[in-house]
Amino acid sequence: MKESYQNEMFDYLDKMGIENFVGVPDSTLKKFIQQGINKKKIIIASREEEAIGIAAGMLLAKSPSLVFMQNAGFANSISTITSLIQLYKFPLIFLIGWRGYLKNDAPEHYKIGKIQPGLLKIINLDHKVIQNNNWKKICDWALEKTKKNKSCALVVPREFLD
Amino acid sequence: MIRKEAIEILMEKISMDPIVSANGFISRDLFNVHDKKTNFYMIGSMGLASSIGLGIAIKKPKKKVFVFDGDGNILMNLGSLTTIGKLQPKNFIHIVLDNSIHESTGGQPTASDTIKIEKIAKSCNYKQVLKVNNKKDILKKLKSIKNNMGPIMIIVKIKKGGSAGNRISTSPNKIKEQFINNL
Repeated sequence: MKESYQNEMFDYLDKMGIENFVGVPDSTLKKFIQQGINKKKIIIASREEEAIGIAAGMLLAKSPSLVFMQNAGFANSISTITSLIQLYKFPLIFLIGWRGYLKNDAPEHYKIGKIQPGLLKIINLDHKVIQNNNWKKICDWALEKTKKNKSCALVVPREFLD
Repeated sequence: MIRKEAIEILMEKISMDPIVSANGFISRDLFNVHDKKTNFYMIGSMGLASSIGLGIAIKKPKKKVFVFDGDGNILMNLGSLTTIGKLQPKNFIHIVLDNSIHESTGGQPTASDTIKIEKIAKSCNYKQVLKVNNKKDILKKLKSIKNNMGPIMIIVKIKKGGSAGNRISTSPNKIKEQFINNL
């Protein structure tokens, strides 16, 4: 996802009422996160599960929230997602940077990256993959989900190597 | 003093403030001792009580937010203490019921018999860290807490024992909805 779109996406979600952006940094999402840091709206947690817990607390205070993380951290968090977010029906948006999307990404991402779509499917977390030209439509889809008290995931593939 | 007795004493003073209680026997005891709509009983997601409490405390700065944690629970999410220490929620009161065992899973040992949780909390910039082991001291320390003094940790040393309370009969979705509506 192009860097300029990431800035626009942050600003759009902010404008549409997401009040908290809590997570663990990921290079795929770095422009999105930087835009949030510039606007003083980001909380960096020590681990993804912690971020999910903080966001759940904010939702208990009726404050709309999003968590961001890399897909490796998402995999770490599956039990928390099923036994907290899904069990209690929290309307949380997950923004997930997807490593291992490219076949020649770093080796530690290969196996977990390959099963990322399958992991989302098997825990029944509704998701959509963001490409450059569809981010706004997909954000609107996610915002609609939260209004219906449902969680969902937005997945951003890493389409570059460094 | 066993866990249930400690919770009974705590609830003499806390009564209406919001509480996030750790999964396992802690939530079950709280449910049986003093069920109320502003108790968020965790069922799963072990370790995250302090994180959930932090999220509430940040968004509701005028309310005193209590977390009922256990030693096993807190040791599972020590990173949370660094985030709490960094964000400094003044209305955050972290109660740790410490029996040095994972009682809900059969009494296996935790590291809190040798590692001092109070030292970790102090290193993480908790403003006050208190340790108590009897009824009189619990009541005295709770009485001394005013608003805007946190983050505070009160470690309550308890003995193992006591039967497991009844399971929480409120559905998870209802636990959440009634908490939101009564916060």
